Amino acid sequence: MPTDQDLLERWKDEPAPLLPLLHAFHERDSYLSDDALRVVSKGLRIPLADLYGTVTFYHHFSRVEGGRGRPRVCDGPICKLKGADTLLAELDGATAMPCAGRCDDPIPVLVEDRYMVGTPGSELAETPAPMPTPNPGEREECCFAHIRAEGRATLAGYRDTGGYRALARAVQEQTPGDVLDVVDASGLAGRGGAGFPTGRKWRAVADAPGEPKTIVCNADEGEPGCFKDRVLMDYDPHAVLEGMALAAYATGATRGFIYLRYEYPHTQAILERAIAEATEAGLLGQGILGTGFSFLIYVRRGAGAYICGEETSLLNSLEGKHPFPRNRPPYPVTHGYEDLPTAVNNVETLASVPQILDRGADWYRSLGEGEHAGTKIISLSGDVLRPGNYEVPIGLPLETLLFEWAGGPPPGRSIQAVTMAGLSGGFVRDLDVTLDEPCLRGRGSFLGAGGIMVFDDSRDMIEVARQAMSFFAHESCGKCFPCRIGTQRLTERLAGEAGPRNADVWRAEVHDIGHTMAAVSACGLGIAAPLITESLLRDFPDAVNAHLENGR
Amino acid sequence: MSAKLTLDGREVLFEEGETIYEIARRSKKDVPTLCYDDRLDPLGACRLCVVELEGARNPVASCTTMATDGMVVRTSTEAIEKHRKTLTELVVSENPRGVEIDPLRGMASQELALLAVRYEADGSRFEGATSGRSRKDDPNPMILRDYDQCISCYRCVRVCAEQEGDYAISVENRGFQTRITTEFAGFLEDSACTFCGQCVQTCPTGALGDLRALQNADVPGEIEKTRSICPYCGVGCSVDILSKDDKLVGVQPAMDGPANEGALCVKGQFAWEWVQHDDRLKTPLVRKDGELVPASWDEAFERAAEGFRGVEAKHGRHAIYAVASGRAPHESAYSVQKFVRAGFGTNYIDNCSRA
Ligand SMILES: Cc1cc2nc3c(=O)[nH]c(=O)nc-3n(C[C@H](O)[C@H](O)[C@H](O)COP(=O)(O)O)c2cc1C
Ligand code: SF4
Ligand code: SF4
Ligand code: SF4
Ligand code: FES
Repeated sequence: MPTDQDLLERWKDEPAPLLPLLHAFHERDSYLSDDALRVVSKGLRIPLADLYGTVTFYHHFSRVEGGRGRPRVCDGPICKLKGADTLLAELDGATAMPCAGRCDDPIPVLVEDRYMVGTPGSELAETPAPMPTPNPGEREECCFAHIRAEGRATLAGYRDTGGYRALARAVQEQTPGDVLDVVDASGLAGRGGAGFPTGRKWRAVADAPGEPKTIVCNADEGEPGCFKDRVLMDYDPHAVLEGMALAAYATGATRGFIYLRYEYPHTQAILERAIAEATEAGLLGQGILGTGFSFLIYVRRGAGAYICGEETSLLNSLEGKHPFPRNRPPYPVTHGYEDLPTAVNNVETLASVPQILDRGADWYRSLGEGEHAGTKIISLSGDVLRPGNYEVPIGLPLETLLFEWAGGPPPGRSIQAVTMAGLSGGFVRDLDVTLDEPCLRGRGSFLGAGGIMVFDDSRDMIEVARQAMSFFAHESCGKCFPCRIGTQRLTERLAGEAGPRNADVWRAEVHDIGHTMAAVSACGLGIAAPLITESLLRDFPDAVNAHLENGR
Repeated sequence: MSAKLTLDGREVLFEEGETIYEIARRSKKDVPTLCYDDRLDPLGACRLCVVELEGARNPVASCTTMATDGMVVRTSTEAIEKHRKTLTELVVSENPRGVEIDPLRGMASQELALLAVRYEADGSRFEGATSGRSRKDDPNPMILRDYDQCISCYRCVRVCAEQEGDYAISVENRGFQTRITTEFAGFLEDSACTFCGQCVQTCPTGALGDLRALQNADVPGEIEKTRSICPYCGVGCSVDILSKDDKLVGVQPAMDGPANEGALCVKGQFAWEWVQHDDRLKTPLVRKDGELVPASWDEAFERAAEGFRGVEAKHGRHAIYAVASGRAPHESAYSVQKFVRAGFGTNYIDNCSRA
């Protein structure tokens, strides 16, 4: 067994050492003891009180002996429908974890680093995540174009299907400016939620003073109902690495991090193997393909905190600080990792880039419907016959996806509502929308990271809303007042635990809280969370009335 | 000042690097805050300082937003005031209702109470679970930790880190479960705390309180403040002596003290009870047959003068060395050095203060 000193020596001079060092102690001891924290505090020169506070921020770090080995059962919105509560009761010492990113499968259970799925009464099985089915609309794809090819996850398989061609051409024949021009012209925008134009972000990093520059691949995928980044990393890891390398070449960055959510341990192994393969082949590391361009990638595993997907909270987490989001401006493009220029990009955004550079901006633009440029992966789950990841042309009618591609609701049922952007976009009841930001924002929602959960007419929307809000309350970082207190008060009101009995007063309170949260919260979590209650009040007034008459 | 912005319809000049809040404050705008302490890096937690900024989709926190040339800012619109009212009602709802916060708890302890009055937030809206968890079990005799009153503004944590450099306290958990804690959720005396009291004085709710001062909560009378300098050491921290009638009831640091800007150490902050202690001497004492006995001032002066003269005659003036007490008034300290320097013509004068 490694000694404290061994672990410290292994990590203390690495970039972003806190999380991997804590994980090393967590693995060795099965929890984070006081003594371990003392060693880490001294070794990394972090004040003990700060370290203690930061460790308690993360859901998965256990402070009780044996804690790491206790089963964590997903009780996300879709797993709840599949009996997560029963499974939780069945498994000895099990605790709940928020959506673990496998909503198109049975219920995920994490035991140490084993990721299994199962349903109540059945055996748990360690099976790979479902591969996306061939595009049901026979639409041309970008990210999924080659993902189903045999051996695509290996370097050889990736190269057989055109992989690393774009990178080789970029570093050997193109200037960074050429790469930026193509990405700009493609219309690619962030696929992690905010939809910021990728070319503009990269250009800002390229233009910003300060070195070294950093590329961060945001693989935190904490949004309930989103499981697309996992599929990309599991089945097409080199596309993500190539995308990062292209981003680095375009911006002048020399180091990269993949910030991976805790719940994907096997994905970490896949990524690390791919990085080793690519480095071995001279596609990553020092002097890439014999040029003067160097770029190193490090994988860092999160520890259970949805907010760490928010880019500035992520950067604080990487730096070993308390993961509150930062105040912006300044933005990460000028003041990111270690206050230096940094591009934070989502997995899907990065995985699109090699294809775009290989096949051209016009090709990518043309994949969208009408005016819209490109594609978006939708993670579809819940009450549809064929849940899964679908790469859709941006602008595709939602009904086409739900009914033609995914088979519609179970027989005899109708769709009551879907969520958008995982939970962050609230509920959409009128399904006559197209999957693009202008349309969805016009309906008071947004596409975001592209998680859509379907609830049929048998579901209790108040209960679904309560679960959603309690997720946001659980994940609120606690930095700003409107979100910290607001998510709690809204959860209590949806649960019928507290709040006024008079229906009009109840609605006024819920609306006032949501209105202020949306307007003045410090980050996207608090801004988006009240879309749940706002859409509930707007689209389900009868359910709200019934809740107020019965429950309260 | 080169840049200018429009603040509530009037043009204001400002210096690069100023925040909207700083400009608003010096322009006498009453922008409310709870998480703000001008000595600390702005955190942007309470969101009460939000203002409307033309061209921005949402209101912005003025404390964390740098002013830029040409900005058009409105500090108090109907919509902004409504958000502030809702925020105040929310924050009031997280503490138990109806607790009187004695001003002796600390310098900033009335901030939340005053804000609640301003926005008529009486605790009747947004009822639900309370968030604080008191640590009145902490046995230290100086700092009350009544976290039932805490609103998680993190001023205490930031002042401890940024001003005192002690990092004794931090933030545990997240969201509504957030608590102020020490390492391993222990007591202050087992932490890195130096009991400087700065966290107490910046706390806007009285969740942290000055236990020494609170012993005088029931003493009748209005609190009066007298500006002075802490006598304990050569730094010269400015303090406000709190008194009720002629009784000393507490000490608070002066924010505008040039040497300390609101900081004190444990001695200046908490060690003043001896002033009114029963064990203090009330008459001079002289030694007779080896016993100390009460004497008149004349008799005591006679005896002291006799002793000094004897030493000077026998060993010379440089044999005399005086140490003034840090607990004596400044006037006495001044007199002692005058007495030694001018009276005896020697420089052997010192003070016990070595903080
Ligand atoms: C609460 C919150 C959680 C987020 N979680 C993620 C996430 O898990 N993955 C992600 O890529 N972006 C997430 N984002 C968005 C990031 O802040 C950021 O916009 C994104 O990573 C930028 O990459 P992109 O431009 O490629 O989309 C989140 C944002 C918020 C406010
Ligand atoms: S909105 Fe919520 S998650 Fe974001 S900073 Fe505020 S408390 Fe934290
Ligand atoms: S008394 Fe001073 S050292 Fe102790 S916690 Fe408060 S600010 Fe920190
Ligand atoms: S104890 Fe006081 S200063 Fe500290 S967070 Fe709570 S309310 Fe703010
Ligand atoms: S003073 Fe600006 S957010 Fe608190």
